[in-house]
Amino acid sequence: MKIEINNIFKAFDEVIANDDVSLEINSGKIHALLGENGAGKSTLVKIISGHQKPDSGNIIIDGKKLRLGSTKSSIENGIGILSQDPLDFQNLTVSESFLVGSKKFGPSLNKRKIANELNKIFAEYEIKVNPQIRIKSLSIGERQQVELVRLLFENSKIIILDEPTNGFSLNQRNLVFKVLKKLNKKGYVIILVSHKLDEVFDLCNEATILKNGTKVKTVPIPFDRKKIIKLMFQEDISKIQNHSRKTIPPKNQFISIDLSKWKLGTTEIPQGSKVGVIGLQGSGCNQFIRDCFNKTVNISLGNGNNSIIPPEDFHYTPSDRLERGLFEDLTIKEHLALTYGDVKVIKWSNIEKRANSLIKEFEIKGESNSYAKQLSGGNQQKLQLALIPKTPGFLLLEQPTRGLDVKSTSSVWEKIIERSSRDFGILFSTTDIDEAWERSDWIICFSGEKITSVSNKSMIKKDQIKFLISGVKD
Amino acid sequence: MNSIKKLPLGTFFIKVILTLLVASIIMVLLGTSPIEVIRSIFDGAFGRPEKIVKTMLIFLPISLASLALIITFSGGLWNIGIEGQIVLGAIGATWVAKSFFGETLVSPIIQVIVGMSFGALWGLLCGYLKVKFNVHEIFGGLGLDFVATGAIIYLILGPWSRSGIASTSGTDIFPKESWFPTISSLNIPALSIIIVSIIILILILFLSYSRFGLMLRATGINPSSTNKYKFNSNHYIYLAFILGGAIAGLAGVFQASVFYHKLVPSISGGYGFLGILVVLASNRRILPTLLLTFFFSAMIAGGSQLQLRLDLHSSLISILLSSMVFFWLIFNSSKVNDLLHRIIKRN
Repeated sequence: MKIEINNIFKAFDEVIANDDVSLEINSGKIHALLGENGAGKSTLVKIISGHQKPDSGNIIIDGKKLRLGSTKSSIENGIGILSQDPLDFQNLTVSESFLVGSKKFGPSLNKRKIANELNKIFAEYEIKVNPQIRIKSLSIGERQQVELVRLLFENSKIIILDEPTNGFSLNQRNLVFKVLKKLNKKGYVIILVSHKLDEVFDLCNEATILKNGTKVKTVPIPFDRKKIIKLMFQEDISKIQNHSRKTIPPKNQFISIDLSKWKLGTTEIPQGSKVGVIGLQGSGCNQFIRDCFNKTVNISLGNGNNSIIPPEDFHYTPSDRLERGLFEDLTIKEHLALTYGDVKVIKWSNIEKRANSLIKEFEIKGESNSYAKQLSGGNQQKLQLALIPKTPGFLLLEQPTRGLDVKSTSSVWEKIIERSSRDFGILFSTTDIDEAWERSDWIICFSGEKITSVSNKSMIKKDQIKFLISGVKD
Repeated sequence: MNSIKKLPLGTFFIKVILTLLVASIIMVLLGTSPIEVIRSIFDGAFGRPEKIVKTMLIFLPISLASLALIITFSGGLWNIGIEGQIVLGAIGATWVAKSFFGETLVSPIIQVIVGMSFGALWGLLCGYLKVKFNVHEIFGGLGLDFVATGAIIYLILGPWSRSGIASTSGTDIFPKESWFPTISSLNIPALSIIIVSIIILILILFLSYSRFGLMLRATGINPSSTNKYKFNSNHYIYLAFILGGAIAGLAGVFQASVFYHKLVPSISGGYGFLGILVVLASNRRILPTLLLTFFFSAMIAGGSQLQLRLDLHSSLISILLSSMVFFWLIFNSSKVNDLLHRIIKRN
């Protein structure tokens, strides 16, 4: 098996997404496609899958030219995509989802035969999912596993994983990687699109780095990590990673978080603390942040005498930025007009000035007239932060760096930290132990819906966290 | 300030030409000369001053219906109930005209107030069903359309029937005082023109310069984000239906008191549905909507000439109008747009 991608060029209006990209991938090697957000990875994947038609260039699979811009032709040529968010039918059962669009079982629906076959293939790949269960009751990780098996089942020989591990637990990730390594030995071509270097180093044998739509280099793996980061960002990353971690001076004031819902009484933490709420994907950590925003969980100021923080001082940013945080068809400027002031009549010239200064301050790549949907994930997140008034408040950030690359992540945190000394406090959720450890003063651990630990960071060890969130007693 | 991206002018004209081309082909297929048809439509719409006035009388209610729909579309709502809202406005106007106000000079103003309130209530009912009972506005609106149609026929044949006979040809003619004031012997509908102009102006300001308008549009794009911005999307759904219903109601008032001077069963003239086509075809922007409405009104006004002059059935006009909108929507689709872009770039 061999896939050759030759001189792919694709532009959207003025933006060049892929500029003369060529690469060759043979079976037997797991290939990584690396690059920061907006480097052109997704476009290239969409071209391979037939969802986009390139302006020029071609793709050759085992010497045969692929008809471009046709998903049907891509599927027929054995290309299978495991996308970022599982594309499945939530209301069907697992076995029904295998039937949809499959010609394997013929016209009759012999449920027992299908279930048998599925159990066999699930066992082969060590997947513990009951085929009779509805897809919506599975976790995202399980859904991705099922989807992967379905691709194999449909005779995909070239499997492209587009940042598939966002919702994976550690265990699921290892399981899926094991499957992929197995497939690789069998002669499948496997391409992993990712910006998580750990993953790439775990799984892949070679990596192609894209930057601004062009191919920078293909390198073997293992390879020098620093050099890869340098190639991805073309600038010295040490500046980004070696930020000094300042501990905030203890203040006399406390904020109290009412955890009686979890039978934990009220926790008092110093004002201005950053509280990391960590749990696996699907645990209660995101809901906790939302509960704090809609006042199911009470947060107040002061010790004992509990002065209330006015509701308008709570600022919440959801993790699915376009779905619940922003309005895709409104511009940056219009978002600002929505947020600021109680004026009835909008003075667009003032808003414009304000928008431009915020765009500069938050380093948002966009203009005051850019629509939210035109911004990349990192810039959408920065826009969410920019929209929060500068006055002291209480920030509730749901997975603020979800899906962001190293560079965007660090610049988002820079902005959060900048204001944190002024704020009453910051609660953020994350599924990443490193992030929780590095960015917080206090850590709340969620295992499922349960809180397993609330403590100052000095009171726990980093290694304990993974046990606390998986519910395993060490 | 609008949420739809502006297209380069070049592609716009190409699409207009393509649409006209399709219309011409249809005319040729129907065995008539496009040029003759266009000329007689033009004559019928603008040939004499009184014909221009007639075109105006058609333009006013359709433009109001379209403006009402721009509001509800901004809130992300499919206001299929607009026909019913127009009917309710007309019922309101008739009620005033038949009351003792009907023979006083304040009648038109009271008609406007009552008609707009009736339309607003009918719209609000649809919004209430949506918010409180989760009835999709398409179903709610459609249901309320049927109720309104039933009500108007009941009123015309029952309580408001013509003295002596009950006939579906409508109620008695309104007293002269209830007709909207006009100027000159041509009966130019001055008051109506003023009212529509004011509404257009208010709407432009509302949608582009007020926070309420912006919040309404935000609600339309993504209601689940609104709670983060500390406003309640349901309030804006109500607001959209009240404003849209009121303006649609005004269209009904115009139909009853400016056009027919009585209540007839088909008082809405299908203008609500026509408005949906107009607004969709012009991407919910106010000025293009008005231009297209004007074009449609001219076609409708001029279409009545076709039968007399070219011996073509006047229904040809609705065939032309609907197929032009249909093809316009096709030419406006993203795929065709991309294609046009590429062709233009290459040349």
